[in-house]
Amino acid sequence: MVQPSFDAFQAIADPSRRKMLRLLSKDSLTINSLGEHFDMSRPAVSKHVKILHAAGFISIQDIGRERHCTLKQDGFHHLQEWIDYFDKFWVSKLKKLETLLNNKSQNKK
Amino acid sequence: MTKSIHHQFFFPHPPEMVWEYLTNAELMAQWLMKNDFQPIVGHEFQFRTNPIPSLDIDGIMYCTVLEIIPFKKLSYSWKAGPGGGKITLDTVVVWELQSKEKGTDLLLEHSGFLEIENLSLYNGMTDGWLKNVNKIAERLNAKYGTTII
Repeated sequence: MVQPSFDAFQAIADPSRRKMLRLLSKDSLTINSLGEHFDMSRPAVSKHVKILHAAGFISIQDIGRERHCTLKQDGFHHLQEWIDYFDKFWVSKLKKLETLLNNKSQNKK
Repeated sequence: MTKSIHHQFFFPHPPEMVWEYLTNAELMAQWLMKNDFQPIVGHEFQFRTNPIPSLDIDGIMYCTVLEIIPFKKLSYSWKAGPGGGKITLDTVVVWELQSKEKGTDLLLEHSGFLEIENLSLYNGMTDGWLKNVNKIAERLNAKYGTTII
């Protein structure tokens, strides 16, 4: 079996990396803006980011000259799936309500 | 990233009529889900639907009425989980009705998804810790034998 270079345990054992995950849970950030929250050198920030990436906690996307870090939802109960599900759920329910109300007022006439 | 759901619907009907469909259990069942809602603040009720395997929830929404301003505003908590009393979704639904010249604007906000994300983050970490502590214990055992513990 191939061992990943950094497992989840190692990735979250470090308080800075846990803080990074918490920051990224609010919004995706570039490595630079992520680094602003820490009193450490840019290479040190990059190293932490690499470890989080290797452990599957985040994805990194290059946009222009910036590297954007985003939490990977896979490990985190699929937040976006919940939102997407209930978003569609409400639209379909509200359409049903619309039909009901329209039918009701038509019957009255 | 979206953390809450917003919808606005216009109905060419008076707020009183729309309100009925938001607060009368029988009428609610016609478009939303079966429920035992009562328009009383603090009332605990449930919506029941089929299980939703993709979200790992058993189809029961556990709700508590949080606020009622007749014909204007209604809110309830909206919780769900895989069953056995475990809650993985802890959110709030707010309905607002605005009287318009020719009908009613109905505003829906379904929020609180961020907290769940944090909770899941925490849960994921806790599970991760446990799994990995076990893994380390195994490695130690393999190396030094099981006599340490």
